[in-house]
Amino acid sequence: MTWSALARAATTAARRTLAQPGLAVVSVGFYLLVTAAVTSLWRSAAEAHGGEIAGYSGLALTWYIVASEATVVAQRVRLIEEVGTEIGSGAIEPELLRPVAAVGVRLATEIGAVLPRLVACLVAGAGYAALVAGAPIATGSIGLALPSIVLAVVCNIAAQHAVAAASFWVRDAKSAWYLYHKFVFIAGGMLIPLEVLPESFESVARLLPFSAMAYAPARLASGYFEPGLLIGQALWTAVMLVAAVAMFARGERRLTAAP
Amino acid sequence: MRATFRAAMLESWANRRSFWTQLAAMFVNDIAWVAFWVLFFEEVGEVRGWARADALMLLAVITTAAGFVLGVTGNVRRVASVIADGELDAALALPTPTLVHLLARRIEPVNIGDLVFGCLLFALAGDPTPARIAVFAFGVVTAVFVYGGFLLALGSLAFRTGRGEVGELGFHAVTMLASYPVDIFSGPTKFVLYTVVPSAFVSSVPVRLLDSFDPQWAALGAGAALLSATIGVVSFQTGLRRYTSGAAWTRA
Repeated sequence: MTWSALARAATTAARRTLAQPGLAVVSVGFYLLVTAAVTSLWRSAAEAHGGEIAGYSGLALTWYIVASEATVVAQRVRLIEEVGTEIGSGAIEPELLRPVAAVGVRLATEIGAVLPRLVACLVAGAGYAALVAGAPIATGSIGLALPSIVLAVVCNIAAQHAVAAASFWVRDAKSAWYLYHKFVFIAGGMLIPLEVLPESFESVARLLPFSAMAYAPARLASGYFEPGLLIGQALWTAVMLVAAVAMFARGERRLTAAP
Repeated sequence: MRATFRAAMLESWANRRSFWTQLAAMFVNDIAWVAFWVLFFEEVGEVRGWARADALMLLAVITTAAGFVLGVTGNVRRVASVIADGELDAALALPTPTLVHLLARRIEPVNIGDLVFGCLLFALAGDPTPARIAVFAFGVVTAVFVYGGFLLALGSLAFRTGRGEVGELGFHAVTMLASYPVDIFSGPTKFVLYTVVPSAFVSSVPVRLLDSFDPQWAALGAGAALLSATIGVVSFQTGLRRYTSGAAWTRA
């Protein structure tokens, strides 16, 4: 019953996304702009650096950015703020009366809404990369990159719900989205491969969950066949899902216990 | 006009905790960009004539200019949705020019954070001699007019299309592309960045002037500012003549 309800929530959200082609165009257009700008920067850098930076060629960097940007840009950038506002304003309360866990429905809805945008971004990005840089270096690692991209999105959405759940206790927690995204940008390897960071910073970044949200699929898409990255991602995704469910459960208890 | 601006200021200042939180959030956002450029140039050295100091000045110019446009004239980004949702009705009934009222009506604290950050970054990393301060101010003023005019022109398309997607995409395009040195692009893309999406005039040209002041480039920047602002205002005013009421009584 619960699983079918969640599947229905995800399907309905996906259909809603598909029914808004205007927003999809903006989303894909924005993705292509970011990808074009960042890949141009890295290709120029590789060119100026003898054709390679930290083991990445211009071609590898292009596919790296195509994957890392898709996992992040396909999502709603202010998800933490929006969920936080709904919690803070009490708009979430009717959802607590339903027979299915509110956080479960929210996660399923968000994942369902993101997937069509993700597919559109990836198709556009792959076309762009093939056009300006060339075909992917290794098809084997690209095969791993696809499930890795989905795991990255699920992990990120779950983590954002866990952070947004702080709004059950703290009034201004919704502003945390700025800080959260900057961690994904730098420590998560979205804008910059972790191998480019100073050694100590790189070691810390590899221990954080943010690398599962951008770096892992990007590294695989850039041609490195490293299945261990998928295992790490699966672990972080499980941790983030449990954290989101636990945070919402505690927050809901607090809300219903309040006089 | 002054009363409208004062009301907008008081509104944004009403929730002081939120004001400071948003300001701090934008500071964190901008510091992350500083970190990115420092890490990038630490590894790469120099790219097509751009070094770390240039990238930091690029960030200073774009945050100051965008912070002013989106912070002080906050409605400029919402022009399309204001038009499409019929929210202009309330502004039309006022004795002030519609465009002036619209632009002065909203202050966005989060972007004020950008404005303050950009000035601070220039003060700390821009070697601020009186001559460089003057060039920085000139560059920012031209960037403000180019950026604001472009956003206004794109937003005004909603008078004809009734939709805001083009404006939104244009906003992302000019902001994103202005955040990177124009010289990393080449060929037709570079031409587009000096013409159709004039992001080069929002950041790279002012930085070039800071690097070595060239009267020809300064004149080009001033011309782009004048042209962009004129196109923005004319687009809005001609579009306004076509505007039919959304029958919604709201505050614009």
